[in-house]
Amino acid sequence: MADALVLAEGLTKVYGTLEQTRALDDVSFEIGRGEIAAVIGRSGSGKSTLLNLLGLLDTATEGRLVLDGRATDGASSRDRASLRNELLGFVFQFHHLLPEFTVWENLLMPTAIAGKTVDAALRELAEETMVVLGLEGLGGKNANDLSGGQKQRVAIGRALMNRPPLVLADEPTGNLDTENTDAVYRLFRRINADWGTTFLIVTHDQEIASMTDRILEIRDGKLVADVRNPVGAPSVAAVAAGLTTSRSSSAARS
Amino acid sequence: MLPLKIAARFLRTSPVQSGLIIAGIAVGIAVQVFVGSLITSLQASLIERTIGSSPHVSLRALKDGDPVTFSSAVARVVRGDSRVTAVVPERDISALFSKGTDKVPLSITGGDLADLNTIYRLRQRTVEGEPSLRPGEIMVGVDFARKYGVKRGDPANLVLGGNDVRTLTVSGIFDLGSAAANERTAFTGPELPRQALGYRPDQYSLVAVQVADPFTSTAVATAWRARLSGIKVTDWQVDNKDLLAALNSQSASSYMIQVFVLVAVALGIASTLAISAVQKTRQIGILKALGMADGSTAAIFLWQASILGVAGTALGVGLGLALIAGFTFGTASSPSAFPIVAQPVFVGISAAVGMLVALLSSIIPTRKTARLDPIEVIQNG
Repeated sequence: MADALVLAEGLTKVYGTLEQTRALDDVSFEIGRGEIAAVIGRSGSGKSTLLNLLGLLDTATEGRLVLDGRATDGASSRDRASLRNELLGFVFQFHHLLPEFTVWENLLMPTAIAGKTVDAALRELAEETMVVLGLEGLGGKNANDLSGGQKQRVAIGRALMNRPPLVLADEPTGNLDTENTDAVYRLFRRINADWGTTFLIVTHDQEIASMTDRILEIRDGKLVADVRNPVGAPSVAAVAAGLTTSRSSSAARS
Repeated sequence: MLPLKIAARFLRTSPVQSGLIIAGIAVGIAVQVFVGSLITSLQASLIERTIGSSPHVSLRALKDGDPVTFSSAVARVVRGDSRVTAVVPERDISALFSKGTDKVPLSITGGDLADLNTIYRLRQRTVEGEPSLRPGEIMVGVDFARKYGVKRGDPANLVLGGNDVRTLTVSGIFDLGSAAANERTAFTGPELPRQALGYRPDQYSLVAVQVADPFTSTAVATAWRARLSGIKVTDWQVDNKDLLAALNSQSASSYMIQVFVLVAVALGIASTLAISAVQKTRQIGILKALGMADGSTAAIFLWQASILGVAGTALGVGLGLALIAGFTFGTASSPSAFPIVAQPVFVGISAAVGMLVALLSSIIPTRKTARLDPIEVIQNG
């Protein structure tokens, strides 16, 4: 792939010194820009380890990782933090919002870490994100005062505020009910369609994985399957319809 | 400035915890300011009471009983020293005060009133009559006057050496603040003692000198000894070793109290900040995952410590000064009370130490934060 956003070559992660565990073993793949891919596997298969390596939260024992054309091997802790802020958005199973801050402040936290000042352009971007996520009118609320679905949507908004090329989502709907799960995936699709954001979603839920464009399966630390999903990508019209439903329901809730 | 904003928010969202730690620092600093000023003022008061009206450096003849010659050369050395605040050439004689059958020994110091006033402050201390030492006049102490029924204007019969009997007039009665001194000391002009002792006009029993800082007296005396041959130069510190030892012991115990207070304050801040770091582990992990550098997350706790330190120290200094004002007001009516004067240098040092302690206390949480792996937080929810 000529224009790969993610290029992983022989990624290996070994834990321990005396008794070694190979959590990830020689995993290589590429993710193109604009893809929505799922990483599936059972608990302990190594998918979270892979996500930690791709998210620059951990370093590989062996192998090479290039993100957006930038080699990450040997990067200092400070450089990896800076790359995380610039290139990556995270959506976790738990929303991980900062309870001391409002929804608006949580949303803008990655931009504040990047040292950006809240000017008219950034304000417009944040307001657009709020609208897309169906969070209008909730900016001044404390993050703790939201429902579970709303919190997760704020977390998604936060992941998108720096407009990163890649969003890594680790079981992003693991704590949500069916309605909110559907809403989150429709949101991913909409953002992917509108902003070209690439999504890599770690999940153990086959049904969710089936909604993506591509499925990578990890078993015992090895990449055992990498398949294109013919039914994963719904039409833009379907996405738009789903989003309208989602936003109406969230507006009704709030 | 993001770390500062986050630090301020963390503190604001835990008002009770923040308030308690600020109160802890404030109490510690207040104790520092109060105890430090109290001890310093107490020592100043003790020194003033003990040697405030005594020479800090004395010039005498090498041989006891001989007069010291206060020549212009000697005067240049003494008066030319910038540390000197008072120079009093004195002539001291012993006499017997005679009234009826009473014969009471008196130690009479003769000199110019203007000179004597610089050390003995006779003008302020005159409680009856006038501060006056014209020829034929004498001033006596309040306890002496009370004991022997002497009043202003009364004649005072004095028997000097060789049965030389003189009658002087009591011009004023003074209170030196010490019953012993008030009962035995008297002042007169320079001429009567000169005649009684048979001295030349430039000869004195001693030249009493006071210096701005009494604790420099040894250095002053040492410097003068090298320049004044044939004159015995002594300083008060040699004659008051017990007092100095007591003052030093008091200082040492005061420093110990202050050190323990500081240690208690430091432990209080450190433990609270450490608890705060543990409480905020999740938030710090999230911020790191979002791309905040280790240095910036550590700076959050440094800012927290700074905010707590500034707030606690400012409150503590205010509280300390209020305690000093309260103490001074509360003891104003007591005759043995002494004024506590807030020592600006000491207040400054206490404030600086308070800040330093607060910053040092943030070492543990900042190190803990720098080591925190965001994966632990993210995966454990």
